[in-house]
Amino acid sequence: MSGKAPGLDVVQQWFQAVVTHPGGVAEGLAGEGAQRLIRLDRADLEQVVRRSGNLTAEERLSIYANAYWARLLECLGDGFPVLRSALGEDVFDSFAFEYLQRYPSRSYTLDRMGEHFPQFLEETRPPGADWPDFLVDLARLEWNLAKVFDGPGVEGRTLLTYGDLQGLAPERFASARLVPVVCLRLLAFRYPVNAYYTAVRHAEEGEAVPIPDPAEELVALLRRDFVVRRYTLSRPQHALLEAVLAGAPVSRAIEAAATSQVDDDTLAAELQAWFRFWTAEGFFQALATG
Amino acid sequence: MSGTPADRPRRLGHADLGLGVGLRSVHFDHILRTSPDVDWFEIISENYVDSGGRPRYVLQQIAERYAVVMHGVSLSIGATDPLDIEYLKKLKVLAREVNARWISDHVCWTGVLGRNSHDLLPVPFTEETLRHVVERIRIVQDVLERPFVLENPSSYVTFAGSTMEEHEFISRMAEEADCGLLLDVNNVYVSSFNHDLDPVEFIRSLPHERIVQFHLAGHSDYGTHLIDTHDSEVIDPVWELYRLAHELTGGVSTLLEWDAKIPPFPVLHEEVLKAKRFLGEQLAEPAWDQAPSVAAAGSPVPHPLHHIRPDVE
Repeated sequence: MSGKAPGLDVVQQWFQAVVTHPGGVAEGLAGEGAQRLIRLDRADLEQVVRRSGNLTAEERLSIYANAYWARLLECLGDGFPVLRSALGEDVFDSFAFEYLQRYPSRSYTLDRMGEHFPQFLEETRPPGADWPDFLVDLARLEWNLAKVFDGPGVEGRTLLTYGDLQGLAPERFASARLVPVVCLRLLAFRYPVNAYYTAVRHAEEGEAVPIPDPAEELVALLRRDFVVRRYTLSRPQHALLEAVLAGAPVSRAIEAAATSQVDDDTLAAELQAWFRFWTAEGFFQALATG
Repeated sequence: MSGTPADRPRRLGHADLGLGVGLRSVHFDHILRTSPDVDWFEIISENYVDSGGRPRYVLQQIAERYAVVMHGVSLSIGATDPLDIEYLKKLKVLAREVNARWISDHVCWTGVLGRNSHDLLPVPFTEETLRHVVERIRIVQDVLERPFVLENPSSYVTFAGSTMEEHEFISRMAEEADCGLLLDVNNVYVSSFNHDLDPVEFIRSLPHERIVQFHLAGHSDYGTHLIDTHDSEVIDPVWELYRLAHELTGGVSTLLEWDAKIPPFPVLHEEVLKAKRFLGEQLAEPAWDQAPSVAAAGSPVPHPLHHIRPDVE
């Protein structure tokens, strides 16, 4: 380093480049990012950072570098606890380490740090293999659980009851729109990750839960009384709720659920049971008529 | 808030809330069930500003029964990136909602070029940094329209380019920006050890009438350096510094932080109540070279760091 002392902006960009470098402080110091800002030999580091009585300047910077990765790996793992247990901590951390380099946190809140993690797992999947679907789906499930838990909800509000539907003329019901609760989310998985999630939670400590074989699993999430509820759906149920979420009238949503495998009488009976169950569980805020 | 130190009221006129603890989600149920006899709570602002679920609901109930102060970790007052005005507006909304007595953050930066390290990174103590921080404090105060208080963080490096000590920087900052100070007594101890400085001189040289709040916490001793881990009891030398700070300020709101290996609430509460031993007693000059805490091992994560896990059926 020579000449005028670097400004605050340069010092901060240099510091960040050094302590967040994936190769550690020594590589960070030598790296292009840091050298472009403050040209400095490793031996001259004390021109920028002082040593203490006990530690060299490099050792002191390493405290920040170690803490940066330790903190973010810990927090990301906390956001995906079942995925972390499925992969094992070391494998999870190696994925997370790569992820944080590609998608470093850019928000004031740690809660958004995992936002791109499912997408990252998809982007970096090895070609030709199916098993990454399991990891991506499990990450998506855990991300959505966190969002539903702390996102907007309907606690304290009056929701649609089955009784509200019973008094309606069939044609009025058909033309109405069901307003889903704001926290309702539908998910389609290629592996039964919701069942896996349940199995892991019920497993004894240290008990291994086998990775399931691929199979379609359709799931609804919502929050009631501040606790996230999970529902496995059949394909017709998923289709119907998907149409509701898209704002379709009830008649169109029911059409979406109709399949060649089910005759009209059976479907009618099933619909009644579904709506009874969904209203009891708080799936809908209201019925918009007219 | 302006005026000379002599005619300025203690704590800048803000209330002494007593002995409080940091609100952590593992204690939600206990607090709601038992309404413990704690004087006040401090929240990590970032855990609540976006919450639409249980954390915010619990906080609203707690704010009805207790005084609440908001303590942030992402303001990044020392960064050269622009201030995040949307974040500030969210702080303001939450502060109104929970009647936050004041809003605090740290004399630090957390990242630049749009990134957040989620760490409290040190600033060089220069005239340039001082001007920059003072200007930003004024903006923050204008947006928040609520008492604003800044804390001395623990730090692990100092910069060759610094032209003043931390206590001088903080003192001048508080005077020029007309803000309050949150004196973290443990951070003074940790930083002073790490930088071969005298924590007593640090505490003695601050503008005491600007100190609105104290923080207490435990730390980890790595032999060559200390790390602010918030994972244990407050050690005796820190209590001695607290005694001195109490004497110099006449007593201010005191809060215990505990962010890792969090004990049951009664243990946490008992720890902050130890402060009573140091209030109103005959005060002695602390001996800061007393035996430090038990040696630590493993990968340390400086705190505050707190993540709320979802409740899933």
